[in-house]
Amino acid sequence: MEDAKLKRKIEKLLNKEFSGIEVSIDDGIAHLSGELNSWNEVVELGHKVGKLEVEEVVNLVTAKEVKAERREKPGLKLPKKIYDPTLPKSADVVIIGGGVTGCFIARELSRYNLDIALLEKECDIGEGGTKSNSAQIHTGIGEHSGTLKKELCAKSWPLYEKISEELDVPYKKDGLLVVLTKDTLPKVPSFIANFVSRTIIAHVIKSKAKKVGDEPRIVKKEELMEMEPNLTDRALVAVLMPNYGIICPHRLTEALAENAVQNGASIFLDTEVIGISPNGEMKKVITTRGEIEAKFIVNAAGVYADKIAEMAGAKEFTIHPRKGSTLLFDKGVGDYVNHQISEMKLPQDPHTKGGAVLKTVDENINWGPTAIETADREDTSVTAEEIQSILKKYGSIIPNFSTNSLIAYFSGVRAPTYKEDFYIKPSKKVRGLINVAGIQSPGLTAAPLIAKMVADILKNGGLEMVEKESFNPIRKKSTVFEDLTLEEKEKLVGENPLYGNVVCRCEHVTEGEILDAIRSPIPALNVDAIKRRTRAGMGRCQGGFCGPRVAEILAREFDIPLEKVTKDGGGSELFVGKTKVSLMEGK
Amino acid sequence: MKKHRFVCIDCPLSCEVALTEEDGKILEIKNNRCKKGEEYAIAEFTNPVRILTTTVRVEGGILPVVPVRSKGHIPKKLIRECMRELAKVEANAPIKCGDMIYENILNTGIYIVSSRDLQEDEA
Amino acid sequence: MIDVDVAVIGGGPAGLAAALSAYRNGAKNVWLLERNPELGGILPQCIHDGFGNFIFKEMLTGPEYAQRYIDEVKKTGITVKLNTMVLEMGPERLIAVNPKDGLLDIKAKAIILAMGCRERTRPQILIPGYRPAGIYTAGVAQRYINMEGVMPGKKVVILGSGDVGLIMARRFTLEGAKVEGVYEIMSNPGGLTRNIVQCLNDYDIPLHLSHTIVNIKGKKRVEEVTVAQVDSQMTPIKSTKRDISCDTLLLSVGLIPENELSKMADVAMDPITGGPVVDEAMETSVSGIFACGNVAHVHDLVDDVSKAGETAGKGAAEHISDKIKKRKVPVIVKGGRNIRYVVPQIIRNEDFDKRITFYLRVNDVEEDVKLVLLSGEKLLYKRKENVVKPPEMVRLTLLSKFLENVGNELTIEAQK
Ligand SMILES: Cc1cc2nc3c(=O)[nH]c(=O)nc-3n(C[C@H](O)[C@H](O)[C@H](O)COP(=O)(O)OP(=O)(O)OC[C@H]3O[C@@H](n4cnc5c(N)ncnc54)[C@H](O)[C@@H]3O)c2cc1C
Ligand SMILES: Cc1cc2nc3c(=O)[nH]c(=O)nc-3n(C[C@H](O)[C@H](O)[C@H](O)COP(=O)(O)OP(=O)(O)OC[C@H]3O[C@@H](n4cnc5c(N)ncnc54)[C@H](O)[C@@H]3O)c2cc1C
Ligand code: SF4
Repeated sequence: MEDAKLKRKIEKLLNKEFSGIEVSIDDGIAHLSGELNSWNEVVELGHKVGKLEVEEVVNLVTAKEVKAERREKPGLKLPKKIYDPTLPKSADVVIIGGGVTGCFIARELSRYNLDIALLEKECDIGEGGTKSNSAQIHTGIGEHSGTLKKELCAKSWPLYEKISEELDVPYKKDGLLVVLTKDTLPKVPSFIANFVSRTIIAHVIKSKAKKVGDEPRIVKKEELMEMEPNLTDRALVAVLMPNYGIICPHRLTEALAENAVQNGASIFLDTEVIGISPNGEMKKVITTRGEIEAKFIVNAAGVYADKIAEMAGAKEFTIHPRKGSTLLFDKGVGDYVNHQISEMKLPQDPHTKGGAVLKTVDENINWGPTAIETADREDTSVTAEEIQSILKKYGSIIPNFSTNSLIAYFSGVRAPTYKEDFYIKPSKKVRGLINVAGIQSPGLTAAPLIAKMVADILKNGGLEMVEKESFNPIRKKSTVFEDLTLEEKEKLVGENPLYGNVVCRCEHVTEGEILDAIRSPIPALNVDAIKRRTRAGMGRCQGGFCGPRVAEILAREFDIPLEKVTKDGGGSELFVGKTKVSLMEGK
Repeated sequence: MKKHRFVCIDCPLSCEVALTEEDGKILEIKNNRCKKGEEYAIAEFTNPVRILTTTVRVEGGILPVVPVRSKGHIPKKLIRECMRELAKVEANAPIKCGDMIYENILNTGIYIVSSRDLQEDEA
Repeated sequence: MIDVDVAVIGGGPAGLAAALSAYRNGAKNVWLLERNPELGGILPQCIHDGFGNFIFKEMLTGPEYAQRYIDEVKKTGITVKLNTMVLEMGPERLIAVNPKDGLLDIKAKAIILAMGCRERTRPQILIPGYRPAGIYTAGVAQRYINMEGVMPGKKVVILGSGDVGLIMARRFTLEGAKVEGVYEIMSNPGGLTRNIVQCLNDYDIPLHLSHTIVNIKGKKRVEEVTVAQVDSQMTPIKSTKRDISCDTLLLSVGLIPENELSKMADVAMDPITGGPVVDEAMETSVSGIFACGNVAHVHDLVDDVSKAGETAGKGAAEHISDKIKKRKVPVIVKGGRNIRYVVPQIIRNEDFDKRITFYLRVNDVEEDVKLVLLSGEKLLYKRKENVVKPPEMVRLTLLSKFLENVGNELTIEAQK
């Protein structure tokens, strides 16, 4: 549709529902400005405009109830001694963002003869949305047809067998049971609803699953209860999708980053991009660690992707953060379910797949996530309401589950655009900038093909890319003491006594493994990074026992005082100083 | 006549000792299960005292601090002052449990001693 | 494979006493396995005084109390393995590891569990909010301050009035930090009265009963917590919410016996104590496996822990020499009115000891009660108590001949 016509159409909507909001159209993209009362209205506006024939929505409308965004002052956060690599002067490709997307792109590009620099603002890779998702390898069944999300997801999931093998990361296919229950159609008389569920809905789901390459089958109640003895007896029938998988997102991202580094890419942690000057052949990327010139910039900055694009002068989309909270239970209860399970409730929320009960690769049970629009890009709080709603929702799918074994809850922020689809394309405004934005769920699943797509865009954009013969796709994970047989353990401790020093009592993580994490190609620089790499602190006592010991090891290895050790980067120091000091100062 | 209630802290039984006085003269003490309770109530009424336990810094030990205690009671009102005094102290490893750390703190006549063995750091 | 008579897992006060007692009762080859670099369990970090009042008639500090037992152990032929983590356990068999010996595959005629307990953490009490640095359990903060010499924070809010939290309120204050207050969801304090007096009242630290924390703010480090009063259903009352600025939140919300190993060996557990079901010799449901100290149920006094260790050690030694004679009918011990639990849960030996001690906790605070021991309708024993409180464990010791004709059930209750 031409811009002028589109503008009239949007203005009609605005006049009717959102008075006072201005719109302009630039090259198919709608730009909205003005002020509304609540954040929810801002999001609703964005979504409504997004539904029209626009290519994307730049929604700069503010909400009265939301205070102006607080941005942390940029500046180096880690003490110098810990981690201070110098940026190169230039690179062929600079990737901004070290989530699963950025790391997959780095690894993909490391197949070629290129200078690659990945910049990550946090003190570890995978600290954004990648750290707190549901870890599902979706098949694409939950996505609307015609979306890029669906296309990439459906083509990506079959790749994970090979990827997990190459990178030595745990991946399994528990399969997903979509369960139809007496509450699937709450507004319809029950005898009709039951009938419709069994005869129609189950078959619709099955045929949708086939289209994304799965091999679904309908499971009748009796067999269902055998497969999942703890399932609610509200269940009527289910559709089993055997190819639904689970991966460990931390370990995947870490493996990708390591493999990229092995193959010549450079990764810079604690390096925040604060400006981009896009003019000329070489674009200047300004960071908290200095400047770097790049032929191409790949923007994979998650919830900040629109801010990065804006820095370069390319307002083409807006990210509206949508957070999701998850509850995690101890390993001991892992045998309570055998598949991923979700209950189908109609009508469905258009922007989420509804969540599931599932079992992580480490056999922890996981309930969630929620889906809540928020104005704060870093809103990773879990509210009392969310906890209660998750307990209620999933407690009714598998009743009698002992929620005492809850060991953690966390929240992650999705990064959708208002079109609610991936936005992967060269910038219209700035040559050499590739936006990889809107990477919401199923972004984890689709990452391998997103990376391929970016490689193609670069090739087409004129980057000379020659495949390296030396590229090695194989990366081996470092030792996991707990997984070894007795004989292997004995041998290992004999070779290196540090593997005989158990630091985390719940997960049996040894000092040797912690040192491996600290000395790995992507060094673990803080307590949380060690936890993600080794699981030290992930168990029942949540680091109560091993926290102090891990902190000590970090202090020793980096030769810094204990007070400089952080939980997850600058500002999260564990201690305020030594004892006695404030007494001596006479305060 | 005035009644005071003191929860005896000399042992975990936590007797609620009742002390009756008139113009500062103690008339009666009751509800204590043992003699210590009486002494405690008198002290609380006249000059409350406490055992002080804390740490002092250590040079060259397997730990950077060593726990210490007062060998006897210290007037409650001097506790904070004692903490400031002890903050300045640095002991040298090795240390034996019971070693003198600070003599006659704030002229109370009370010694501060270490309350554990602390070996030298070999590394 | 290493053959030993008695293997004791955990070198805290329970394990120390158990190893000594097993040795003194004739067990030859006694091994004491401790994962820390030193013996004493939790005691080296409990630098306050208040230990050993009953056993030594002195108010020792934690490290001093531990030292006395460590010195005794040194005088014996007990084999002490430090830095040694027991990884797996089955009947008569243990797998442990340490940096020096590597993997240890141990066959033991008797095993004594003395692994202590761990602290409850935030998820178990469902505090919403962010997950910043600055949230510590009280015991962890205690270790940092007292053993590592570092301060976890300057402005502290404490949730829960358990003893460790109270002790730490004073400790933080003495070290120059500001403790804003202690918040307790129950209407009664969780710790001993003496600790309320000498740790809070002495330093004017407010104790807010029937209060809880409903939110934690701060993305990197704790900046603020929201507290609220709760109603009788323990639901926070919205209108009472208020924010308190602080950099540290300390949790003192309970201890959980550490029984992962016990579960591996299929030891039967008591859901109320969180520890194994034991008899009067501290033997568990698995023959030859004994349990004592905080692993069996959470104690407030170390003296009781040591006593239980002694019993378990003796039991293990007698188990090996086949001295233990089982009763024809075991006696099941039950808690009646206002009794939360009783340990031992079962009596099944003949002539194990002249005296038998029951440890129990009540559900609610009650004044002027009689603690009675009943066999069916028959009153076997009674004792008057001025007051009973949940945080303060009650000890009932009586001659075992009292129990000669008790039948197969025994009830202990608090009567008004
Ligand atoms: C609750 C939840 C559940 C989900 N469940 C699933 C699922 O089951 N399956 C699935 O396939 N997908 C799922 N997803 C989606 C998936 O997690 C995301 O699509 C994926 O993690 C996105 O990765 P990313 O690398 O694009 O973004 P991120 O992981 O957010 O990475 C972006 C990175 O950019 C960095 N950055 C930002 N600004 C700058 C700057 N100025 N300078 C330098 N670096 C910067 C950030 O620090 C961050 O590390 C879920 C998402 C959420 C939130
Ligand atoms: C902070 C605090 C304050 C207290 N204050 C007082 C007081 O004032 N007065 C008083 O009388 N009592 C007090 N107590 C109570 C008393 O100290 C404890 O009840 C007692 O220490 C428990 O002893 P334990 O041996 O059962 O456990 P612990 O002391 O916890 O010892 C258990 C040991 O087992 C080891 N272990 C565990 N698992 C393994 C494994 N798999 N392999 C090898 N080793 C293992 C642990 O490392 C630990 O050393 C206090 C307790 C605490 C926590
Ligand atoms: S009076 Fe005696 S028995 Fe009572 S608390 Fe004091 S010391 Fe204990």
